[in-house]
Amino acid sequence: MKPLLGTLYLLGMLVLGGLGYDRSQAQHRQEVVDKTATPWSSLETYPYNRYHPMGEIYQWMSLISEKYPEVVTQHFLGMTYETRPMYYLKISQPSSNPKKIMWMDCGIHAREWIAPAFCQWFVREILQNYQDNSRIRRLLKNLDFYVLPVLNIDGYIYTWTTDRLWRKSRSSHNNGTCFGTDLNRNFNVSWCSIGASKDCQDLTFCGTEPVSEPETKAVSSFIESKKEDIVCFLTIHSYGQLILMPYGYTKNKPSNYKELIQVGQKAANALKAKHGTNYRVGSSVDILYATSGSSRDWARDIGIPFSYTFELRDSGKYGFVLPEAQIQATCEETMEAVLSILDDVYEKYWYSNSAGKVTSTTLVLSLLMSFRSLF
Amino acid sequence: AAAPEGPQDSAWQRDSELPHGLLQQAARAALHFFNFRAGSPSALRVLAAVQQGRAWINSKKECQVDLEFTTEHYNPEEGEERLGNCSAQVFFKNEKPRPTINVTCTRFMEKSKRQQEDYLLYKHMKQLKDPLDVISIPDSHGHIDPSLRPIWDLAFLGSSYVMWEKTTQFLHYYMAQLSSVKQWKTDEDAIDFDYTVLLHEFSTQEIISCRIHLVWHPNKPLKVKYHCQGPQAPEEASGIEEGSAAAPTTGLINY
Repeated sequence: MKPLLGTLYLLGMLVLGGLGYDRSQAQHRQEVVDKTATPWSSLETYPYNRYHPMGEIYQWMSLISEKYPEVVTQHFLGMTYETRPMYYLKISQPSSNPKKIMWMDCGIHAREWIAPAFCQWFVREILQNYQDNSRIRRLLKNLDFYVLPVLNIDGYIYTWTTDRLWRKSRSSHNNGTCFGTDLNRNFNVSWCSIGASKDCQDLTFCGTEPVSEPETKAVSSFIESKKEDIVCFLTIHSYGQLILMPYGYTKNKPSNYKELIQVGQKAANALKAKHGTNYRVGSSVDILYATSGSSRDWARDIGIPFSYTFELRDSGKYGFVLPEAQIQATCEETMEAVLSILDDVYEKYWYSNSAGKVTSTTLVLSLLMSFRSLF
Repeated sequence: AAAPEGPQDSAWQRDSELPHGLLQQAARAALHFFNFRAGSPSALRVLAAVQQGRAWINSKKECQVDLEFTTEHYNPEEGEERLGNCSAQVFFKNEKPRPTINVTCTRFMEKSKRQQEDYLLYKHMKQLKDPLDVISIPDSHGHIDPSLRPIWDLAFLGSSYVMWEKTTQFLHYYMAQLSSVKQWKTDEDAIDFDYTVLLHEFSTQEIISCRIHLVWHPNKPLKVKYHCQGPQAPEEASGIEEGSAAAPTTGLINY
C-alpha cells in the first residue's frame, strides 16, 4: 500500500512540476539558494563528496528537515563565541515506546574537515535508507540519532576564510592578543591536568576554566540533560585512523573497557572490510597521547557507556587536508563502523530485554523443577 | 649493521618497559633520514608497521633503539602493495637535536626504474614555469594538480631532512601543506627550490612553518638548508646538510 502511495505522490509531484506549479515554499527556498549563489540547486544535487562552507551546511540542515519532516527536526543548541547559532538534527521514528539516544558531533576541531563531511553523509544515509533498509529500521525503532554536524562553527569558518590549519575556537583572550580554546580540552573532566596547556598560545589551550567556552557549555548542558537516555556518544575527528575509547586523562580503564574494546574492534573490522583501511583501536592514553578535558572522557564519566572518538583518514600523508576524492570512501567505511557499534548497542539493550523475559521464564521453570525434585 | 647486544657501555640499562610509542618514533626518524639520504623523490618510503625492537636508556635519559620495521611506497602505483624491510639503530640524544641513525632497507624498486622516474620528475620540474602562481599545495580541498605533483614530492624529500632533525622520542611530524612555493632556477642543471612548508607536530598538535631551500639533481647529493619558526623552535632552528645519493649495487641500501 505504502509504495503505491509513494508512487502516486511522486507522479503528482512530477505532473505539478511539469505544469510549472511552484509551491511558494519551494520558490522561497530557491531564492535563498540563489542569493548565496551555491553551486547546487536542491538537496537532490547536494554533493556529499565535497567540502562545504558553513553557510551551505546551515542551508543543508534546513532543507533536510523540510524534506523529511516525519523523522527529522532541527534544534537549537546554543550560540558560539562569535554569536552564531549551533543546531543539531534529531532523527527519530515516531513511536509510542521510549527511545534511547545516540549522540554524534563532528568538527570540534576546525581543520578536521572530513568530520563534518561525515556527519552530513551519515544523516543522508540514514534518511535515504531508513524505510527500505531493515538494519537501519531496526535501529530507529528504539534509538534516536542526534547529530551536530559542526560543533566549532567559528573555527570552521575561520579555516575557510583565513587559516586552513586552525584548530581551536575563536574566543578572545589576554586582551585580544590571543585567540581560541581547544574545545576538546575544555570539558569538565580532570580539566587541564595533563595533555593540555594553560597558555592561550598553545593549540591545546584548555580555556580559562572548565566549560569556559559557550560551545562547550551548549553541548555539556544538553548532554547532561539527556544523559539518562544517551547510550552512545561519538565524537568525530581527523586524522590518524583510530577508534579511541576512554580515557585520555588516566591510564585507568573504564569499568566496561573489555566490552568497549570488543565493540570497537568489531567496528574497525567492519570498516576495514569496506576498502581495506586499517584502524587501530584502544584507549586514548595508550595509543594516542594523554589528554584531559575531552568530551568523550566527560561523556563516559557522566555515565554514557559507549563513548568513542573516531580519528578518520588519513594517517599523515595529507592529514587535515584530505583530498575531496577520498570523502566518499572515507564516509562509506566509517558508516560501516558506526553501524556496527549501533548494532552492538542495540543488541545489548533491546535483544537482552527479550532475553531477559526468557531468563525470568526459565528461572520460574527451573524453580518449579527444583521444587518438584524435593518431593 | 645493528649490534645485537646494544651499547656496550655499562651506563646503559636495558629498557624493558618501552615508553609509549618509542618504537614508532624511532622508525619515523629512521625513515626520514633514509628518505633524505636516498635523495630520490620517486622512491620515498613511509612506515607500514614496526615488527620488533628493543631500547636501552642511560642515566641522562638518552635512548638507543634497535628495531625492525616494514615500509610502503609513499606514492604507490595502482594496486602496488610492495613492502620493504628495514632494520635500524636510532640514538635519541639530549644535546644535539638530531637523532643519530644507522638504517638498512631492502630495495623495493629496481634501481633503473627509480632512476628513470627521478629523471622524468627532474625533466618535468625543469619545464614548469617560474614564478609559479601557486599559493598552497594542496589547496584547501586537498587537490594537487597533477602537473604540480612533482613539487609536492620534492618538497617532501627536502622536508624529510627537517623532520629527521626534529623527531625525538616524543615529537613527530607530518608535512601538512606547502604554504608557498617561491622561485626556483636551474643553475648548473640542478633544481634549486625554495619553499615554505607547514609541518604538523602530532603530540602538541602545533603547526610549525619552515622555509626550506634545496638543491637537487638525480644521482647527486641532495643539499638542504632550512629555517623554522613556531612554538617548537624557541631559537632559530636551522640546518645545512648534504645527503648522498650513492647508487647501491646490492639489494640492501644502508646509510
